[in-house]
Amino acid sequence: MSEQMHRQELCRGVALNTVADAKFKSNRISCNILVPLDRENATVNAVVPFILRQRFRACPDFTRLSEKLCELYGASLDGDVRKYGGYQIINLSIQGLDDRFTLDSDPMVKECCELICDMLLDPYLEDGCFAAEDTRIEVQNLIDTIQSEINDKRDYAVAKCVSLMFEGEPFAIKKYGWEEDARAITPASATAAWRDLLRRGIVEILFIGSGSSEQAAEIFRRRFELAGREPIAYSRLATPFQQRPVRRETQAMDVKQGKLVLGFRTGELSTGAEHSAMKVMTALWGGTPFSRLFLNVREKLHLCYYCATRYDRGTGSVLVDSGVEFENREKAEEEIFRQLDAVKNGEFSDEELNNAVLYMVNALKSVTDTLGGMENWYLTQVLSGAGETPMENAEQIRRVTREDVMAAAETLRLDTVYFLTGKGAADDE
Amino acid sequence: MNKKEVRCARMNESYVHIEHPSGLTLLLCPMPQFGSSYAMFGTDYGSVDTAFRLAGEKEFFHIPDGTAHFLEHKMFESEKGDAFADYARTGASANAFTSFDKTCYLFSCADHFKESLEILLGFVTDPYFTPETVDKEQGIIGQEIRMYDDSADWRVMFNLLDALYVNHPIKIDIAGTTETIAQITAEGLHHIYRSFYNLHNMVLAIAGNFRVEDVLEVADKVLRPSEKLEVERLEVEEPYEVSRRRVEQRFPIASPMFCIGFKEKPGDKRENAVNSILDEVLNEILVGEASPLYRRLYDEGLINTTFGSESLSGRDYMASMYSGESRDPDKVYEAICDEIERVKREGIDDEAFYRNQRAAWGRYIRMLNRVDSTAQVLMNTWFSDMGLYELLDVVAEMKKEDLEKRLRENFNREQSAISVVLPEA
Repeated sequence: MSEQMHRQELCRGVALNTVADAKFKSNRISCNILVPLDRENATVNAVVPFILRQRFRACPDFTRLSEKLCELYGASLDGDVRKYGGYQIINLSIQGLDDRFTLDSDPMVKECCELICDMLLDPYLEDGCFAAEDTRIEVQNLIDTIQSEINDKRDYAVAKCVSLMFEGEPFAIKKYGWEEDARAITPASATAAWRDLLRRGIVEILFIGSGSSEQAAEIFRRRFELAGREPIAYSRLATPFQQRPVRRETQAMDVKQGKLVLGFRTGELSTGAEHSAMKVMTALWGGTPFSRLFLNVREKLHLCYYCATRYDRGTGSVLVDSGVEFENREKAEEEIFRQLDAVKNGEFSDEELNNAVLYMVNALKSVTDTLGGMENWYLTQVLSGAGETPMENAEQIRRVTREDVMAAAETLRLDTVYFLTGKGAADDE
Repeated sequence: MNKKEVRCARMNESYVHIEHPSGLTLLLCPMPQFGSSYAMFGTDYGSVDTAFRLAGEKEFFHIPDGTAHFLEHKMFESEKGDAFADYARTGASANAFTSFDKTCYLFSCADHFKESLEILLGFVTDPYFTPETVDKEQGIIGQEIRMYDDSADWRVMFNLLDALYVNHPIKIDIAGTTETIAQITAEGLHHIYRSFYNLHNMVLAIAGNFRVEDVLEVADKVLRPSEKLEVERLEVEEPYEVSRRRVEQRFPIASPMFCIGFKEKPGDKRENAVNSILDEVLNEILVGEASPLYRRLYDEGLINTTFGSESLSGRDYMASMYSGESRDPDKVYEAICDEIERVKREGIDDEAFYRNQRAAWGRYIRMLNRVDSTAQVLMNTWFSDMGLYELLDVVAEMKKEDLEKRLRENFNREQSAISVVLPEA
């Protein structure tokens, strides 16, 4: 059930990662171009997938492209930006039925692969540049996206904590960039960014599903034989501790519920076993509906509606985010630390540990049931260098001991505390 | 025990429909190639059920707003403790939700399926409410309500429903308000539980990697036969007219958000479910990415990729909704109304119909290729008096004329409304 990934280098800096699984009636093909995050280019890079998503040379009309996707049985085509550790990832992906499940045995794999290549490599250009109209619209959309970060207060508070925590480090660079940089984008600068992505980006293609990956390999190899490519070498960014006092920031807004986010650093974790221990530790502390934070901060003391941990291996950080009543902020923070101390001191039962492990194993075994879950998992494996199947990781999670969990909790260093409060409530600080 | 296999000729797949002696309907779709299973245990009781009486009773029992959701929270608690603590021992990922016309408890698991199923059937059939536990929950839900108050997505939709409907309780927030949930009592919860959580009114839908025998074994062990109860819901007289055409609220957000709705005439629940599939395709033709209108609005910068349409349907309500972000929501509203008028006059383009029908086919096949959505669709179709695979028949057999008829009869400017959430001045 849990399939091995097959990786082949198609040409320099271009790899095809295939996971074949016959239970799926469709295929997901995802093309990821990786470049190091940098403040100067992040925003202009971010607009590229959205411009490419509009049309391409052989299909110079957005409506015709959408019609074509309908004809391909409603294949879903997405362009977006992702972030992993110190890298910005420009992504184009398509998901469509496999040839065998169409009404007329249509050649879906071939069509989908060619479509992705056309879009990425052979865009619609006017005098060698993206169309002014496409650029104008997509820049405006990018600005809207950047501005709308504030719409969801929970996500906003988390993003705010992350950017404060990593200020001055590449991790702080936002995947969609900055509004003022977006305003300066021109068709020429966006086109130059696209060319630069193709020239130096590392290309990781994932093909997941039941279809013929040989056909996909043949198409991608032919299309990616580009002249003048100088792909960068991929290296993971270090995630060191910072020697400085804890940073605290409070912001007031017209909201009815406060959002408290605590940012911790884990430092460099070197082995897979250490990462697994950190995963189990964060699950036991605040990652499940029976975790210490959920049971104590929410259920027992009613200090907040949600209070959850998340571990990000790429940046070496653990975040605790919670929705709290303004007046409960201090009490909630104290309780979050009290529970962390309990984990450090091993004041948890064997049953709690077993339950956290079971919960994670269950989640890992479910990863392979959706194409999206598989794509996320295997892309992360490629980027983190772990190269595990979910089942292999589940085995490692099962070997995590009480001492491993306590040691993982000991490594956490509080770095940043961000609090979003109501207007008029800010004077409390 | 009545057991039958339901086969799909189009896909060469099947599921099992069982009437369990306890009164519960079991819809079981084994998908052995998958690693996990997804189980849903639901009743057709939701936020729109505001008053009811049992056969033989004279008076209607009035339910405070937000009770269905409150009851859902309370079900997880028993005299021994919390169902989440039980699930913790099996590794299952558990949850529950309350919608307008359903309450559902679910879990997803890869191992220990039987143990998790026993927990699910056990806690949902074992109510435990005391004045103290009800009191405690009022605090937690109060916090959840405040969280929704800060959610612009949530507000923009409920403001629309409030504008579209005059009397129908769909206009009420699912979680209620701090004031209404304060009226909930342990005694009231028991009465509601007995009436709506009767096994004859419920369904268990499971898809994924499990064995039918295991489900029967657990069901036989946990479920006790229940007597069938007839619940009569108080019918609300709802005119086709809308309450208001426009509603506006200010919020700390970046750009204006909107939700536009066309109120439609509901039929019975099966008709509503069928019409909802037709409307979904119709809306794609009208405003989907391949439509001329989408293109025009996108090029004018009036919509962005957050724009989308949705068909809202249930027991006795039906609407089409269009939502997104826009610099000028009222222009989007006008443009949609004008486009509807144009398509009414000129008819639906043959090619557009064919393409969108094909796209819908692909979407449904993909939906039935996941354990979670297969279980969801099994449950939803059952509550709509439909079989799972009839969905595919509706998609494959729909005619352009059916969509044109829906458009003529149900998409009218006068019976529509717009809700806008604007950034603070």
